[in-house]
Amino acid sequence: MVMVPIYGRFIGDFTAHLVAVDTEDTIADVAAKIAAHSVCRRLPAQSAGSYEVLIDGRLIPPEVRVTQLSLRPLHWIDVRWKR
Amino acid sequence: MRLLSRDDWYEISHDLDWTLSYVEESDAFPAEWTGSSGVPKAAWQAWEEPFRVSYRDYVAVQREKEAGVAGVRDALKRAHIYEHLDPAVAAISHFHMGALCMVEQMAVTMLGRFARFAPSPRWRNISVFGMLDELRHAQLQLSFSHDLLKHDPRFDWCQKAFHTNEWGILAIRNFCDDWLLNANCVDAALAVHLTLEHGFTNMQFVALAADAMEAGDIGFSNLLSSIQTDEARHAQQGFPTLEILMKHDSQRAQRVIDVSFWRAFRLFQAMTGTAMDYYTPVDKRKMSFKEFMLEWVVDQHERTLRDYGLQRPWYWETFLKCLDHGHHALHLGMWFWRPTLFWKPNAGVSRAERQWLNSKYPDWEESWGVLWDEIIRNINNGDMAKTLPDTLPALCNLTQLPIGTHWDRHHLERCESTYNGRTYYFDSDVSKWCFDLEPARYAGHLNVVDRFVAGLIQPPNLAGALAWMSITPEVMGDDVYDYRWAAEFNRPAARDT
Repeated sequence: MVMVPIYGRFIGDFTAHLVAVDTEDTIADVAAKIAAHSVCRRLPAQSAGSYEVLIDGRLIPPEVRVTQLSLRPLHWIDVRWKR
Repeated sequence: MRLLSRDDWYEISHDLDWTLSYVEESDAFPAEWTGSSGVPKAAWQAWEEPFRVSYRDYVAVQREKEAGVAGVRDALKRAHIYEHLDPAVAAISHFHMGALCMVEQMAVTMLGRFARFAPSPRWRNISVFGMLDELRHAQLQLSFSHDLLKHDPRFDWCQKAFHTNEWGILAIRNFCDDWLLNANCVDAALAVHLTLEHGFTNMQFVALAADAMEAGDIGFSNLLSSIQTDEARHAQQGFPTLEILMKHDSQRAQRVIDVSFWRAFRLFQAMTGTAMDYYTPVDKRKMSFKEFMLEWVVDQHERTLRDYGLQRPWYWETFLKCLDHGHHALHLGMWFWRPTLFWKPNAGVSRAERQWLNSKYPDWEESWGVLWDEIIRNINNGDMAKTLPDTLPALCNLTQLPIGTHWDRHHLERCESTYNGRTYYFDSDVSKWCFDLEPARYAGHLNVVDRFVAGLIQPPNLAGALAWMSITPEVMGDDVYDYRWAAEFNRPAARDT
């Protein structure tokens, strides 16, 4: 288990954040960690809303683990409401 | 003996120079310092002072200005004006003093460099007066703050701020280190005299002075106005420099002005944009930040560019759109990360204030109001933890400002460059363009997030970051009205506005 600092942006918020994710985190965990800095703070929650994650423009399945990805420090990760 | 009048001797003295015999010209005036590469030595003979002044004249005028400021200062102390100021208005002076006093001191160094290394003797001579101007500005702001220190420890930051790692101060210092302290004379004259002083200081020293006067902060207003009379004079030194550079290297002139204009704009979005549109009481505002920018900066800058044969920067349309948004983003960010400030920010989003914001910025509600709505809901639900940050925002590796704060949330795009194996992030394609022009100039620098990730800030949490920034409990930022403004949104009528 290794912490990896990334830049997480929840689409619709006005800035991105420094977020620490773990190599054992799933992409669903990563989405929740990024959303925690925006949703219910500056963006309203959506009932029954769930998230999806884009890395370098590609949609990443929620079960993928960080360790399976080649993330560099401060890699940019986008999260949005699932469409 | 009767003293000669200035015109009797000025022509002989103003370009006093001599042929060096003990040292090489290139050793006494290295091109790295003068910035005269690409411009023949003879060309600098055409450098004409935009104003004429002798030391005797200068002292007489400055003495009168000083007497004026001192008179107002003494009268206000007796009248206890500061004690009766609106707290949001007082916050503007806390912010201003910390953010700008030491910039004046850095300008002393810059003008001292001009006085020694500028490629024209006329330029060297006249820079001595600019150096004295900037000394006066720094000392005025220190003495003003010293008077008020007994009322608020935040005035200590007038001297202290630039000796801390407070993130906003680091952004200003980064610009000043780059252009005031490290640039050669020619580039610094274009970036500082022409762009920062001639282009932008009207924002801080005219617009803010007018608002401060209206809001009753007479001492602060008087101080700003006195400083601006000097800035307006010595800022003109940039014009003869531009005129010569346009004949020999117009591309360089265009590049320096375009880069420094964008960087200066980003800082004034943070400093003046927030003060004018959020801190000044709504009934005391004379113009919006955007209106003032359009009238005093945009028109003037366009005219300067046109008069000297320069093009508008390639990013002009982006810049104009950013006038509607960037300072709202910076304001929201500064308020949300308020424990990292050394002044108390005013949210400035009460019902009446939102009405004013929407009248000046038609997209404000959709871009910014919705974000404030969630904050207001949390305040009114007593969930204050959700109105405070748990981490740092992503920061631009050029401007050092939060990524996403140049425009609005709909235009937040990932912008990056890779140089020598490291990825650098930027708040905009304009900042990326600045970096890509001269990557070696900026590469290697660590912004606050980079330092956090590198383990240079301990303990690695928000408390550690605040201690690293020298933020102490007696100055730590919090809502200046203690959140009382949010209560009106509990009433159903608030939803109709």
